[in-house]
Amino acid sequence: MGSSRRSLGLLRNAVARGGRAWCSSSRRLLASVSDSEFSGLDVTGDRNVDIFDRALKSKQRDRAAWLMRDSDPVLDTVTENLIDRLQDCKRTFPKALNLGGAFDAVRRLLQGRGGIQELISMDISEDMIRRSMIKAAEDETAGRMGSMQNFHLVGDEEYLPLQPNSLDLVISSLGLHWVNDLPGAMSQCRTALKPDGLFLATMFGGETLRELRISCTVAQMELEGGVSPRVSPLAQVRDAGNLLTRAGFALPTVDVDEITVRYPSATELIEHLRSMGETNAVRERMLTVKRDTALRTAAVYQEMFGESDGTIPATYQVIYMAGWSPDVSQQRPKRRGSATVSFDDLHKAFTPEASKKSPDDGPGGNLKQEVPTEDKEEPGTGDSKPETDGTTTRLPSGTWYKIE
Amino acid sequence: MVKGGGLMKQVVFNKSLLQYLACPLSKEPLRYCEKSQELVSDAIGVAYPIIDGIPCLKPMRGRIIDSSKAEPSSAK
Repeated sequence: MGSSRRSLGLLRNAVARGGRAWCSSSRRLLASVSDSEFSGLDVTGDRNVDIFDRALKSKQRDRAAWLMRDSDPVLDTVTENLIDRLQDCKRTFPKALNLGGAFDAVRRLLQGRGGIQELISMDISEDMIRRSMIKAAEDETAGRMGSMQNFHLVGDEEYLPLQPNSLDLVISSLGLHWVNDLPGAMSQCRTALKPDGLFLATMFGGETLRELRISCTVAQMELEGGVSPRVSPLAQVRDAGNLLTRAGFALPTVDVDEITVRYPSATELIEHLRSMGETNAVRERMLTVKRDTALRTAAVYQEMFGESDGTIPATYQVIYMAGWSPDVSQQRPKRRGSATVSFDDLHKAFTPEASKKSPDDGPGGNLKQEVPTEDKEEPGTGDSKPETDGTTTRLPSGTWYKIE
Repeated sequence: MVKGGGLMKQVVFNKSLLQYLACPLSKEPLRYCEKSQELVSDAIGVAYPIIDGIPCLKPMRGRIIDSSKAEPSSAK
């Protein structure tokens, strides 16, 4: 798991200019409360896990669709890293599903990578989808979409409306951390994938907004004597691997990245979260924030984490997950008892007597002969630089085997 | 919707999407009803709306059309 810190510098308060847009979107919010008048299916009743209020998250994302600018640095950075991973495999993925979160960033930044011909973008919020459709139409007329066809639909990640065995790739950029039943959602993704299909996702990890969480807790303890969840529970890195295997994916890989963004004050941080649609939707949260508590939170944040130039940092920990839907063509461990070489044979091959028998063998030789050659080329390599060819690193052979 | 952008022109539902879509609850294929602009799941008797050409396949937007088949609080 690699981890790196990057500071994106000051983020100006540029998103709050949507004053008028906010008024009209608040009217829309009231209008869309009539959602509940639809004789829709009530499926929240029999769920075991119901941490997040999905209807509220949908409305928050509706609002974010109005507040968003054309691109967001955090979302774009994460999405760009995620799409990079597509190029790590030589395969092409003609049919792809693009799930929630920063899906418009995925659509915009793909630019032909991964060989995707049909991209189905899905989100729980209608306004987000509409905004994306407009942007996609603009991009298509400007010729920026290449040969990729765009489809849009509104749907819930927890009830994936795709047929089984229909997709080559499911990509989700910062969408899954608001899903209640994450193993279930990932399982449905695996079902929708063809065999040997790829699942690529990023989520915010447990360290995200650590500073905000600490400041909120301290302020609430001081002023209210109790604590209510202000930052949503986020997956831990150690759980990500389990999630992938539990959903049935083969060859799971997980890695972590940390981005630090500096804001002039806590207000800008909250504005930024609102414009990303990442505000709190935990069902058990307290519905109001007292003015004093909010002010105290900002003050505590500044005291505890403020930097020398007056700005405050916020951490975004991003977990990148990748998994393949099972297929017979993938590597798998051999059946127990099917070994043809014993450890004794290997030991005999690697002891110094064996090295005299095979002097200068090329690197293409089999393993038994390759290792003794290494030893002769790099004697006494206690702490020499490890050999790398850009993608893999081999340990210096001096430390690798020293069987006496 | 988009700052400075005009109203979105009328979009018609793209039928080639039907080969991928399924009912979110039963995962059965859907039937497109052009007159009422809905995607019907015959397996459980629920219709999902198509709004402005965008299929809206969320369970809470489903309309029960055949109450003998549908289970209002069906599990996923």
